[in-house]
Amino acid sequence: MADKKWAMVYDANKCIACQACSVACRVENNVPENLYRLQVQMEGPNGVYPKLGMNFHRQSCVMCNNPPCVPVCPTGASHINNEGVTLVDNNKCIGCKYCIVACPYKARFVNSVTSAADKCTFCWGTRVSKGQKPACVEQCITGALLFGDLNDPNSEVNVYLRNHHHILSKEHLNTKPKLYIIPSQRGGVKA
Amino acid sequence: MDITWGSQLQYHAVYWPWPIAIYLFLAGLSAGSLMVAVLLKWLDKNNLPPWDGLIRAGAAIAPITIILGLVLLIVDLGKPLTFWYLMLYFKPSSVMSIGVWLLAVYTPFCLLFTMAIFKDHFFSGTLAGYIRFLQPVVTFYENNSVKIEVFLLTIASGVAIYTGFLLSAAIGLPLLNQPILPLLFLASGFSAGIAANIIIGLTVFKAVVEPKNLKYLLMLDLRVIPFELGMLFLMFAGMHFLGGAHALVGIQALTEGFWAGVFWFGVVGIGLVMPLIVAVTALHGHSYKKTTVLFNSVILLLGVLLLRFYILYAGQIYTG
Repeated sequence: MADKKWAMVYDANKCIACQACSVACRVENNVPENLYRLQVQMEGPNGVYPKLGMNFHRQSCVMCNNPPCVPVCPTGASHINNEGVTLVDNNKCIGCKYCIVACPYKARFVNSVTSAADKCTFCWGTRVSKGQKPACVEQCITGALLFGDLNDPNSEVNVYLRNHHHILSKEHLNTKPKLYIIPSQRGGVKA
Repeated sequence: MDITWGSQLQYHAVYWPWPIAIYLFLAGLSAGSLMVAVLLKWLDKNNLPPWDGLIRAGAAIAPITIILGLVLLIVDLGKPLTFWYLMLYFKPSSVMSIGVWLLAVYTPFCLLFTMAIFKDHFFSGTLAGYIRFLQPVVTFYENNSVKIEVFLLTIASGVAIYTGFLLSAAIGLPLLNQPILPLLFLASGFSAGIAANIIIGLTVFKAVVEPKNLKYLLMLDLRVIPFELGMLFLMFAGMHFLGGAHALVGIQALTEGFWAGVFWFGVVGIGLVMPLIVAVTALHGHSYKKTTVLFNSVILLLGVLLLRFYILYAGQIYTG
């Protein structure tokens, strides 16, 4: 059987920017104060008054299949595992910050407790490897986040992506993200 | 914090701050000083002791600056005490890993050159007892000096060039993501080497500086500076025509805020145009003042330092 290849769907139409995912992430992963693996940022308002609307953006690791942060690591601490998840081995990380500089998504930061580079892990170590979904997906109250195996044609993400137009962040960089974004249909010309 | 979704600090932080800028400067300077010293040594009548003051200057500067630079690199690590992990791995995909191994070869060879040039100081002074075992290595170098010096030139340019690739690997930062950066850093490192060798040569080793060697270095510099100006022009013109984030960042980096000022007044004004004016107006012909030469070299060196600060900071701050 082929390895799993984990992917996430973020549907900006269903998201209400309640930050429940962000809080769940902080609790699950003990993210130090004022640092974030995940935020839902609001963009806008777009449109012309009084027809205004907001757009939402999930700011996190996009789990590239071709991650720029991995080849630059001088020790191999930053690596992609056999299930397509990019992780940092805290014991091998020396804190050179090359991966943080190389990431075009600003997904990484220095963990103030471990002094190692830190990022979203899809909750691989604590949840996904044990058959659970990532904490953010579990907590999402509107169903804006879906999680599943790209190698399984019947997984929730594959079924959803078959029926929804989706985009990839900074696709031109050929990083091949596995965070699939369903862009907002609300429209509204950007201010 | 007035934003619902939390602090934005981590998205705007400069992750490679001033110690890295100074390291980039020192690495280029060390490589430049060594290259200039070797080139001088190859000139007519310079290949035997007593060594010219400008060669001695290079032999003194190159190891000191690279070791200082390495200390800065280690101090800037999140976990400085784990720096030796770098020596456990070789990852050819990582410019940093390539750089570590270049430096691991470069630094001892640099010291070998220094020991050969200052042989009398090393092997007859108080140190002599501790380093006598190195005498055969220095003798081997003296017997094969040209071959080893070709290698020295190669690995020194490797060090200067890798500092450019180190930054250009950042695909999300348009000002760093430049194919011309390695060449620009090589040229400006070489220029810094000329300036530093002149400064130390004319102050510390002034009794043994041959005017013809000084003239040779001033002549070399007058060729490197226009080349650097040309490369900076190419870089920004290239960014403009690339479009997208590159074009946007190119404009920001030339027009916005503190770092645009550093570029125009520091990098271009003090570091390149002023030395060019001084060279053309005051340093031509056969007689020139020592103070003018020193002043010219100091501003040149300052310009090279500012170029590293500018590229590193503007590169991380202006992201389009």
